[in-house]
Amino acid sequence: MKTMKGNTTRRLASVLLPALLATFTVGPLEAYELNLGTNMPPVDFHGFVSQGFLNSSKYNYLGNSSQGSFKFTEAALNASFNPFPRTRISAQAFTYDVGEAGNYDVVLDYAQAEYTFNDYLGIRAGRIRRPQGIYNDIQDVDVARTFVLLPQGIYDARWRDFYASLDGGEFFGTIPLQRAGSLTYEIYGGMVNPSLDGGAALQIRDSLPASGHLDSIDSAAEFGGQLWWNTPVDGLRFGVAGGVVPVFNFNTTIQIPGGSIHPNNRNEAVFQQYSAEYLWRAWTFQSELYFRDYYPESAAPDTHLLTWYGSAAYRFNKWFEAGGYYTEYYGDTHQSDNSLFYQKDAALALRCDVTEWWTFKIEGHYIRGTGLLEDTANNPVQNGNGWWMLDLKTTFSF
Amino acid sequence: MKSFFLKIGLVCAVLLAGVLSAAALDGVVVIVNKGVAANSISAAALKNIYTGRTTYWPDGQNVDIALLDDETGTTDVALNEVSGMGASYFRTFWQRIVFSGRGQQPDKISDVASLVAFVASTKGAIALVPANADLKGVKKLEIK
Repeated sequence: MKTMKGNTTRRLASVLLPALLATFTVGPLEAYELNLGTNMPPVDFHGFVSQGFLNSSKYNYLGNSSQGSFKFTEAALNASFNPFPRTRISAQAFTYDVGEAGNYDVVLDYAQAEYTFNDYLGIRAGRIRRPQGIYNDIQDVDVARTFVLLPQGIYDARWRDFYASLDGGEFFGTIPLQRAGSLTYEIYGGMVNPSLDGGAALQIRDSLPASGHLDSIDSAAEFGGQLWWNTPVDGLRFGVAGGVVPVFNFNTTIQIPGGSIHPNNRNEAVFQQYSAEYLWRAWTFQSELYFRDYYPESAAPDTHLLTWYGSAAYRFNKWFEAGGYYTEYYGDTHQSDNSLFYQKDAALALRCDVTEWWTFKIEGHYIRGTGLLEDTANNPVQNGNGWWMLDLKTTFSF
Repeated sequence: MKSFFLKIGLVCAVLLAGVLSAAALDGVVVIVNKGVAANSISAAALKNIYTGRTTYWPDGQNVDIALLDDETGTTDVALNEVSGMGASYFRTFWQRIVFSGRGQQPDKISDVASLVAFVASTKGAIALVPANADLKGVKKLEIK
């Protein structure tokens, strides 16, 4: 145990010391602007690198966290420019590693062209970020939030390959409502391309018997939208999102005596999400409620997932922000009393913006239930007793 | 039940108090590049610009927000008035927009003279500057 703690301390130092050195030896990181010529608009470049550390008192969650895990990395680089009036082109490359998900595969996060006819209507096409609630399209952008881990029932750090982007297009715009504020909408459709290194694949593998193998996950069509009512009260908005994946299919092989079988795994998935956000002085209040229903083609029963959270954060000054949230996740509402299917998480976080381009966060969780572990092999014994988790994360952005 | 709805009504009334009024920019004015056709702007339209909902001027020019990023936060109160966000949250908000591919991050300029010069030389640029600044080469927008 002593050696394990020593290794953890050394690995922690290996991340924090370069960060400290960078602070004092490197100049400030700033967005880079590439000028292509006098008549051409400049190309803007932005990016970030995040490194996290997870340590839990009992279970391996989002990696081998019971021993302290540094497998919590995200990095992105994006470029954008406006070649013509009302036209914008942007693209982002992204890589991540969260426990067994991601594995540093570099993916094209988005690559899109958009044309804005007016405030009411615009069109965006290519690989786009999928809007859903407050955080889905920015769930991997650490600097855009107070917390290290967003409520994982809705914004699972491992599932970004399934949730974050799709190949297709969307209509967007803002409709003024005079004294009632305005409505902002995005309506999208396209194909999602789950990775065999992503969260969906991990969850499927975790649910297979020992003799089972996940062969592939099919690309799936998805349609949906996000509507925000920006109320006339400064900082207060309400949102509703909904979507459907008419056919989600993955292919598995189960070895049985004398051969193998390929079960029918096709199902329909439908989700809805309700959001509220209020920015008041230095406070940020947020709450969201999410439902996801699976309807299998086979005789397997329907599954209904429910999760929600409420959060509050306070900005003390330009350097410090603190916040907390409470969230409950029920992977199957038919088994809401079973700790293998629920996870209830109370979190407190402190964010420090050391400079405009360097952020450091520390966060503690008290969790009951194991519904989101999705790693039975590394958590052979699970029960409903509470457990703790400590998260550290540092991010450099420009 | 009646008292419950009364309480809800009171909370809504408190929330609505002080809103819907035009942004009062005490000691600060809105300036734009001279190529921007408008001479005035409504508080609602200004808010749409600073919250990323409006990204182009009516003639199709890209809206380029420039911010005064000095030590004393000279225009932070005005920025809060027009965007509904404090300076720190405003930065976070635009990072969300940038990294989701939905907009361009505001430019930061460290002193007033350079900010005015930036707006004067950048198509579609808009900025908040102290009312006593030398506005040579830029246009002042009236808030309707």
